[in-house]
Amino acid sequence: MQPLPSSITLDGTFVRLRPLRPDDAELTWSWRHSQRARFLNRGAPTVAAQREWIRTLPQSEFNFIIERTDGRAVGMVSLLGIDLTNSHAETGRFLIGEPEAVRGIPAAVEAMMLIYDFAFNALQLVRVWGTIAGENRLMLKWQLFLGMREEGRLRCHYNLEGRLQDAVVLGMLAEEYRNCALPRMQSLVQAAGPAASAPAVPPKEQLNS
Amino acid sequence: MLSDDRILQLALAAVENLNQELDAGQKLEVSPDMPLFGANAVLDSLQLVSVIVDVETSLAEALGFPLSLTDDHAISQSDSLYRTPASLTAYISSRLQSAGK
Repeated sequence: MQPLPSSITLDGTFVRLRPLRPDDAELTWSWRHSQRARFLNRGAPTVAAQREWIRTLPQSEFNFIIERTDGRAVGMVSLLGIDLTNSHAETGRFLIGEPEAVRGIPAAVEAMMLIYDFAFNALQLVRVWGTIAGENRLMLKWQLFLGMREEGRLRCHYNLEGRLQDAVVLGMLAEEYRNCALPRMQSLVQAAGPAASAPAVPPKEQLNS
Repeated sequence: MLSDDRILQLALAAVENLNQELDAGQKLEVSPDMPLFGANAVLDSLQLVSVIVDVETSLAEALGFPLSLTDDHAISQSDSLYRTPASLTAYISSRLQSAGK
């Protein structure tokens, strides 16, 4: 397998996903230590450690900053563990760090739509999966509505908020994405304003160049 | 047939449910005309989904059949049904009337 280029940008109508860079360290560190990120692990202890963590991320991962089209960074999301042999990958590190900046804007939905489009269409994966802390009810409700299915539960898997919580394992197959998730995500994107066009994704041959 | 008042109650209850998940400083002032989504909105798309799911669930229990708020009919509305609880109520009421329910 040839190495995947981790420097791609995915453009949507309301947001774009651009590569996470070392100079995002201070901003993303502040997000990861906010109350809103209480269901994610705390990550690096200092900004310097966050910068080093970003600098040494594996090239096989796609770690994105979610930007509004005016360039303001509002969150982050990643596609990890890309296994082209077994045709699956994991979504993770999903966080809207600037909630005030995305009110009324389908930033979270479109960011996930771009990630799924990249995974299922550009990479032609068959399955995308992820885990969510059992007490993160809003995110669970959101992911299930958008087409993920609960596949299992890892008991007492995360130590968050001072207590052990289950990890809920969610997964989606390519067919479910096309038949269920994509129409729902498109409807939510359209709800915010002008009809959204299909997200632009680089052709597969570009990924292997 | 559900009255408009009953539908509005369901919509407002869905926003109240969301409030229970929000931190103290993020609580929403719930009213029929609060701007849910779109211009000057108070919700992000994650929170909007919470409201949609709860309204759909409550409607299914009250009506005895499912009513999608994100299907082709809903998408095709020229004016977003998610603007306010009142606009959501008007859309649901109109759809039930046209279906003779």
